Amino acid sequence: MLRLEGKVPKSQSRRHFVSAAMCAGAALLLPPRALATSQIRCGLTPVFLNNDLEILAALKGYLEVATGRSVQLVLRRTYQEITSLLISGQLDAAWICGFPFVANKAELALVAVPVWRGQPLYQSYLITGDQRIAANIDGLNDDIHAFSDPDSNSGYLVTCALLASKGLRPNSFFSRTFFAYGHRNVVRAVGAGLAHSGSVDGYVWEVMTVVEPELTRRTRVIYKSEWLGFPPIAAALGRAQATEVIALRQALIDMSQSDSGRGLLKLLYLDGFAGADASLFDDIAVKMEIVRRLG
Amino acid sequence: MNRILNPPSWPTTVKAPLLVALLMFLLSVAISNRVLLRLAETQERHLGTLSGAYLDGLSSSILPHVLREDVWEVFDALDRSRTLYSGVDAVETVAVNSTGSIIAASNPAAFPTGMKPPDGWLMRFSDNNQILIDERNQRAFVHRALTVQGQNAGAIFTELDISTLLLEREAVLWTLVVTNSALTLLLTAAGYLAMRFVVTPIKTLDAYPNRSADGPIELIPPERLGSSSSEFGRLFRRYNAMARAANERLALTERLAEEEKLASLGRLASGMAHEINNPLGGMFNALDAIERYGERESVRATSVRLLKQGLRGIRDVVRATLVTYRAEETPRPLTPQDIDDLRLLIKPELQRKELAIDWQNRVDVALPVAAMPIRQAALNILLNACAAAPKGSKLSFKANTCSNRLTFVITDRGAGLPKDLARCLETSGGVSPIPSKKGLGLWMVRRLLDETGGDIEVNWPPQGGTTVRLNFRMTQGALRDVA
Repeated sequence: MLRLEGKVPKSQSRRHFVSAAMCAGAALLLPPRALATSQIRCGLTPVFLNNDLEILAALKGYLEVATGRSVQLVLRRTYQEITSLLISGQLDAAWICGFPFVANKAELALVAVPVWRGQPLYQSYLITGDQRIAANIDGLNDDIHAFSDPDSNSGYLVTCALLASKGLRPNSFFSRTFFAYGHRNVVRAVGAGLAHSGSVDGYVWEVMTVVEPELTRRTRVIYKSEWLGFPPIAAALGRAQATEVIALRQALIDMSQSDSGRGLLKLLYLDGFAGADASLFDDIAVKMEIVRRLG
Repeated sequence: MNRILNPPSWPTTVKAPLLVALLMFLLSVAISNRVLLRLAETQERHLGTLSGAYLDGLSSSILPHVLREDVWEVFDALDRSRTLYSGVDAVETVAVNSTGSIIAASNPAAFPTGMKPPDGWLMRFSDNNQILIDERNQRAFVHRALTVQGQNAGAIFTELDISTLLLEREAVLWTLVVTNSALTLLLTAAGYLAMRFVVTPIKTLDAYPNRSADGPIELIPPERLGSSSSEFGRLFRRYNAMARAANERLALTERLAEEEKLASLGRLASGMAHEINNPLGGMFNALDAIERYGERESVRATSVRLLKQGLRGIRDVVRATLVTYRAEETPRPLTPQDIDDLRLLIKPELQRKELAIDWQNRVDVALPVAAMPIRQAALNILLNACAAAPKGSKLSFKANTCSNRLTFVITDRGAGLPKDLARCLETSGGVSPIPSKKGLGLWMVRRLLDETGGDIEVNWPPQGGTTVRLNFRMTQGALRDVA
């Protein structure tokens, strides 16, 4: 098993096995020339369940088959590390959050955007323990609050913007805050009672209700933000037209066209990947501005 | 019931196994106590080592996060340690910073971040890093200070569930109890069987003399003698040798007694002949007088009176002898006449030695005692007194009843009954006075007393002679006992 932690239903395990086997089979059918070309280095952040090594193996396998290149998946603890690697050209592309994409828009280019439930959008959730009676963010005053990452849109910016719209700052509104560096960790922290409430990616929380219901069962969503641009796959602006990036974009967009790609999408609980315009993330830019204005 | 409550009277076959059981019990308690103490020490040592390893591992992994007060990383490390150190059974693990505030705990609901652990909970931990055990609540408490470059950085407090260890200890205790109980029962049963085997020869020795209380001593049969090389084999053979000797002495005594009886009978017959012969002379004279002067009324009347007197005397002597020596099928009560007949029976001896007798018979009703053996015993004592009394002296005989007892008191003025013979008389079940042939009559008295349940006292009055007191119980059962 490649899983590091968390549980996957048996039916999913079978699907993982089938998809991995298909990817491996497809790799054997590729011409030798394909594997001889340059490697694609792709960064990943906790915008999805990147702790599931089985998903990572399936993703790597699919991308190598689909691009005809070897693929190196690079994981770091924080969004900032991945963003820095991306901007500095050490990564060909990375699945980052909309917040760092907007923050570094001048240096980044969109490669593709995931499509979830028919659209390239997602929400940010405010969650509490399942026994809490708070109805909205006002009821979370003086909580110990868990954020996901300071560069996360859903796991930090949205809540900060919500408070800023009320003229509040997290440090004064909450009694204490901490970063769990992962949406799944935020759910664990709130479920265990370490934090009274948390800011989490809606897509990750919904996927966890299926994959790890024992964790989400101990939490309750009290607030859902408006729909915002889904965390995109971005490349450094200077390498947007590199063959590796083009091959990667095509592999992502074509994912739903192959059985192995559809198998991977099932694991990711996504519909597919699509091209998109940077304006998709304008709402995030607005939130950044709200927070910035409060200072 | 009394025997059950009196342990010294219990049979050896019971006492010895019970002693074994008691010793085994004491031994079991001592061993169990020692084993459990050692087990507790070992468990505490292992628990200390295990918890130390747990805290050392945890310390090294969370120390950087404690320094940064990274709530999530500290919690994540504590949470993961629960599965990584599943053998430790940590119930609560709390990491605090240098000021004692909680950074994170394995159970954040009970120990919220930013708060201080309750004082009552902290008091359960020792001041140093030693483990403290609370057996009543099945918990152990241990903490580890976190230091960096000699500076206090925080601490980890861990509450451990030791119910598994205590259950193991309890299981060991029950194993000891069951095993020791089984061993005790087994050894007790083995001890009982062994003691039964050991005491069987002793019980044989105890049983055979008892079987022969009223007759010859019974010998241990050859098939039960066992090997002559064994201790008990030799003991049995010595017992049989002693029993044979005793039986021979008893047979000899009885034969001598029979001879004495015949001798007494001869003396009695001689006395009777004398008694009958005395009036016969007068009677023949009376017959001659009738033959010669029968026509005289006065002579005839005098002769007839003399004949009647003589015949009456003969009749009394014959009747007393018949009553005394006639074998009776069933015991009968003692009548006043039976006592008075004794005077007739000793009359020849009295006359022969010119003895006087003070005869006081205060018995005026039939008494519920066996007439034959009692009168025979009294006759023997009287004859003995006659034999002992100096010629021309005076004897005394008193028969009386008091408090359901019949008492004969016989006194003579002889040289006094020898002490050994007196002891022979007074000792119930005593041995015969053989080889001294002189006391056979007295030995027979002793046997008659044993037969009737009577007792005897011998005294030596200051004025000389011997006073013998015979006592007999008067009960309705006395006749049945003799029968």
